[in-house]
Amino acid sequence: MPDTVTFKIKRQDTETSGSYWETFIIPYIPNSNVISCLMDIQANPVNAKGEEVAPVVWESNCLEEVCGACTMLINGKVHQSCSALVDKLEKPIRLEPMSKFPVVRDLTVDRSRMFDALKKVQAWVAADGYHDLGPGDRLSQSHQETAYKLSECMTCGCCVEACPQYSSDNNFLGAAAISQTRLFNMHPTAKNIADERLDTLMQEGGIADCGNAQNCVEACPKSIPLTESIAEMGRQVSGKLWRNIFKA
Amino acid sequence: MDSHFLLRRIHSLTGIVPVGLFLVYHLYLQLYLHSGAEVYNEVINGFYDSPLAIWVLVIVVYIPLFFHAFFGIRLMFESNVQPSYTYFSHLLYWLQRISGVGVLLFIIAHIWNTQLGPWISGTWGAHFEHLSSGFADPESGIITKAVYLLGVIGAVFHFSNGLNTFCMTWGIALTPKSQIRVRIISFIIFLILAGSAFYALSAIW
Repeated sequence: MPDTVTFKIKRQDTETSGSYWETFIIPYIPNSNVISCLMDIQANPVNAKGEEVAPVVWESNCLEEVCGACTMLINGKVHQSCSALVDKLEKPIRLEPMSKFPVVRDLTVDRSRMFDALKKVQAWVAADGYHDLGPGDRLSQSHQETAYKLSECMTCGCCVEACPQYSSDNNFLGAAAISQTRLFNMHPTAKNIADERLDTLMQEGGIADCGNAQNCVEACPKSIPLTESIAEMGRQVSGKLWRNIFKA
Repeated sequence: MDSHFLLRRIHSLTGIVPVGLFLVYHLYLQLYLHSGAEVYNEVINGFYDSPLAIWVLVIVVYIPLFFHAFFGIRLMFESNVQPSYTYFSHLLYWLQRISGVGVLLFIIAHIWNTQLGPWISGTWGAHFEHLSSGFADPESGIITKAVYLLGVIGAVFHFSNGLNTFCMTWGIALTPKSQIRVRIISFIIFLILAGSAFYALSAIW
């Protein structure tokens, strides 16, 4: 086993400044992950040339692949850095911020666009008022199984990072938001505004911007059936298109 | 619903109906190459005997075809190259776009060579002789053959892979299992159409 691990990190000091690569060599610790290595760099921010530099900035919360905050490009591929094990990665390990979002600093990006997409598709249960609405509907086992899988989405950005159709030049909602419309359009209360969600999907940046590359479903760390969600929403907007033409 | 959505859905639909169906019919007609010059010319000229032939051609084939082609090229500019993700579906995604451009070039040359050219030069009607002499030309024959080979395989791929993505876009194949099933079916359609096209071409090779 080697006694050191080399990291090449793409850094950027401010939102507007240019990026540059910096190499760090840290002691090898068995079973470490990328986050624990970033913590080692933070504790001793000395680059490979021996210069003391500003510590590398990244974002993380849960450290168990549930929150999505520490998503970054590891050796060119998008993944959560908390669950990226150093032993399984090709060395030197290259870390870059996600390319589809504006960089805040170093490995931290601003994923607001994803949360804005959730707002656009109204990915919530709209309950009007505080009065007692009575017990909710009973849901079948199969409904629960489908919905639970979709609810695991942590809006991490892997699907849109891997997507060839999602870029800073357009306003595509992306697979995560489309999949959430499916989740809320199947919910017995949230489906009251199912048609409004379909209207959003049928606008610029909506579902028609999907190019069927299917990278999203491969990149999803939670194995959410994103292409199934996109096809299901494709079916729902096809029905709405039919209704708009022949029944409106 | 806005034109953004509608145009993309029309683009998806025109690829299958009528352009894809026309491709299947067109490849079927070419099997008559094996029936010899007289029958082949009769079959092709039979279509043009109808006073509506030119209108059918323009409305059913040319307008949808060139809408699909040029809108498709516009859509291509929305694609970003993502080389780190080497998944099979991602490869198909790019092959679909590359074949689309290749097939458009082939179709323009094909229309010029088999339709506009003979009309202008006044040799219209002897389709079999026109095709077979083009293939047999000692100098340009090899190029013609190569262009046809690439054009035919590109068109057939673009259509059968398009069937696959059409089923996803319109929500016909929902689950990953059914999407794999549709992919297998579209691959079989690819083999059948490519086989039929190559068999037809073998008559004048």
